[in-house]
Amino acid sequence: MYYIHKVASITHQNSFLQNDINALLVEITEGSVLFAPDYKKYVLPSSLRRLSPILRMAVAVAKECQEAINTPFEAISIGTALGCLTDTEKFLNVVNTVEGDILSPTSFIQSTHNTISGLISLELKNHSYNMTHTQNNISFEMALIDSILCCDEGKSFVLLGAADEGIEFLNKLKPIVISKDAFVTSGATFFALSKIKSNAEIGIVACQAKLNKVSIDSEINSFLGNLQIDSAAIDIVYSNCLTEHFPSEKMIHYEKFSGLYFTSNAFGVHMAHDWLIEQSKKYALVVNSSCEGGIGLILLRNDKAQD
Amino acid sequence: MDIFITGYGVISAIGNNVEENLNNLIQEKTAIKQGLRNFSSKFKVGEIPYTNEELRSEFNLKTEGSRTALLGMVAAKEAFLNHELFDHVKTGLISGTSVGGMDTTEEEYKKYLKGDRVNYKNYFNHPSGTTSAQIASELGISGFVNTISTACSSAANAIMMGARLIRSGYLDRVIVGGTDSLTQFTIFGFRSLMIFDDEWCKPFDNSRKGLNLGEGAGYIVLESQKSIQTTGKIALAKLTGWSNASDAFHQTASSPDGDGAVLSMNQALQVAGLKPNDINYVNAHGTATPNNDLSESKALIKIFNGKVPPFSSTKSYTGHTLAASGGIESVYAVLSIQNKILFPNLNHTAPIEETGLIPIKRIEKNMEVNHVLSNSFGFGGNNSTLIFSKK
Amino acid sequence: MELKEQLKAQIIEQLNLEDLTTADIKNDAPLFGDEGLGLDSIDALEFIVLLDSEYSIKIDDPSLAREIFYSIDSMADFIESNK
Repeated sequence: MYYIHKVASITHQNSFLQNDINALLVEITEGSVLFAPDYKKYVLPSSLRRLSPILRMAVAVAKECQEAINTPFEAISIGTALGCLTDTEKFLNVVNTVEGDILSPTSFIQSTHNTISGLISLELKNHSYNMTHTQNNISFEMALIDSILCCDEGKSFVLLGAADEGIEFLNKLKPIVISKDAFVTSGATFFALSKIKSNAEIGIVACQAKLNKVSIDSEINSFLGNLQIDSAAIDIVYSNCLTEHFPSEKMIHYEKFSGLYFTSNAFGVHMAHDWLIEQSKKYALVVNSSCEGGIGLILLRNDKAQD
Repeated sequence: MDIFITGYGVISAIGNNVEENLNNLIQEKTAIKQGLRNFSSKFKVGEIPYTNEELRSEFNLKTEGSRTALLGMVAAKEAFLNHELFDHVKTGLISGTSVGGMDTTEEEYKKYLKGDRVNYKNYFNHPSGTTSAQIASELGISGFVNTISTACSSAANAIMMGARLIRSGYLDRVIVGGTDSLTQFTIFGFRSLMIFDDEWCKPFDNSRKGLNLGEGAGYIVLESQKSIQTTGKIALAKLTGWSNASDAFHQTASSPDGDGAVLSMNQALQVAGLKPNDINYVNAHGTATPNNDLSESKALIKIFNGKVPPFSSTKSYTGHTLAASGGIESVYAVLSIQNKILFPNLNHTAPIEETGLIPIKRIEKNMEVNHVLSNSFGFGGNNSTLIFSKK
Repeated sequence: MELKEQLKAQIIEQLNLEDLTTADIKNDAPLFGDEGLGLDSIDALEFIVLLDSEYSIKIDDPSLAREIFYSIDSMADFIESNK
């Protein structure tokens, strides 16, 4: 079991530093904006001025996770599907519009995917293992699998994160690359993860992620089967796709609350975490599948709940 | 637990496969020259002299993809040549890339800015994860596929991740490495940082000005003992050490004393259970930027307590292939062990004043090469070290 | 506008120093490091861009940047003598 000692999200929901986000959830509608904190509380003005939205969000939630544990993280593992799109687009514009040799470097520097984890290492003054995974819709699962490895290798606390950034241009890719009804946006969810239990109640039991297109039902069967857990024992399912594996009253469509970004299932895990505490229930499953990418499954357990 | 290397593949400016790369390394032949494409023609680059169509036909590639994916397919196929898929050998692919499908994206985006007809479908290629999915598809690998994107240390980190997944029993066999194609985005990007040398790059030279960019891909196949029992493969070498650490100093620059590099080399030696003086050759990151080479030199002096083993940067042959460099240089590390040779560092005339370190200047043959240490450092202070050992 | 005032406004714009006004930047105070505005080597490159785009002055060697851009005074002197 990999205990969640802290989870922090910046999303369209009032999710930042709330104890039970589920009580505050509102379905996203057109014109909805991100609930952002005052970033000046997290980053010095001299650094903040350069940071794109994804970097601001990620640093703030990372610092909240660091604040919650008393010891430096021994590893940082981050998943992002599309990385720093604001700066990527900015530098594409620089490349195509500026005449001559001398180009502004800032957006190029901040366009690489690991700008996020690199900046966090700088801001936390953390010299440990620092990894960035990017595998389309299962990027968060890949970062989680790495975090689990880190914990098993003896690292005490791991900072696990997911962050993605929506830019206006993505809307042009509808309906060819992105489904036409999607509310494309940004979000960041970070966790302080550890095998040490101390005060934590909820943990991640296991994660499975596959790239190939297999049926969701057979994936769920093999995942729960390996863990020797009956489907009926799952109290709640947070999902971004349809499956008849579970009764509809147990299913919550997390994308209605997160909007579309390819690591939004991390916010599903946040919702599941809070729900298990609030309801004193035992098992929650987060199901993530998209027609283009892979299938990811994450099982959470509440140690305090009765069977 | 032993991690065996049972296959390797590489495409770079100095060759389409392992054999061509080895021959040009031995003959001390760089392939860095004036670029062939619109955006590269003004610069000295390590470019692969094929168009995408030529790559597809020359190497018989069946899967569509960006140039980054095509280069990855070429090298990964060579690494996985004569390997078979078995139901009970859990096989994965972990690939490092920094640009992903940027080569197609930048073309499309240019059309979009000009108001020309655009084909939004081409953006399917953009995500780095798609690059790996396309390579996996060409190899027939499904199941575990992952992409690491930590700038210039991506491939080294993919190799490290693969080793850890094998050690934990999560996988039995994994193809690991990285790929990056030259793009206008990266050429202009490194120029904007003013760390581009318009002449041949001079790693570890006192008068070094900056890097030459290159493109390519390099992959190795890692297997556990259990996997080898099924696949029947013979090990070329072993991967014995790995580590990643953060410099936590600056967004782009390395710390003056190479703190992150010292950490990663130290930890990799620990993982391998080796002492510094067990290392026979260091394939340095050596980008030839003033900052990297000084910082890496200081880190080497510290780790080896002043007695730095023979070292070189092979980026003087291939250019800096960014995310692919750790993959390509891993293949070179295995070649060094197999052939008992140490590769020279081209274009070196005078040692860096502050350190006095002199790299290998001519090919050295018939050397005892038991352990090779390979460094890859990326933006964001991402420092990785791999150690390769005789099987 | 006087050159030095113009420079300050351009610096605030180029470097997104949104919390500063031109009055906050003293002519002789160091721009880099913690004693100054806290600018770093990335900002030095942005200054090179600024000099090229606004004053058509090219600097090829980035290692000269720290000296040229030490303060508003030194920047203005450099611009005047390279016009």
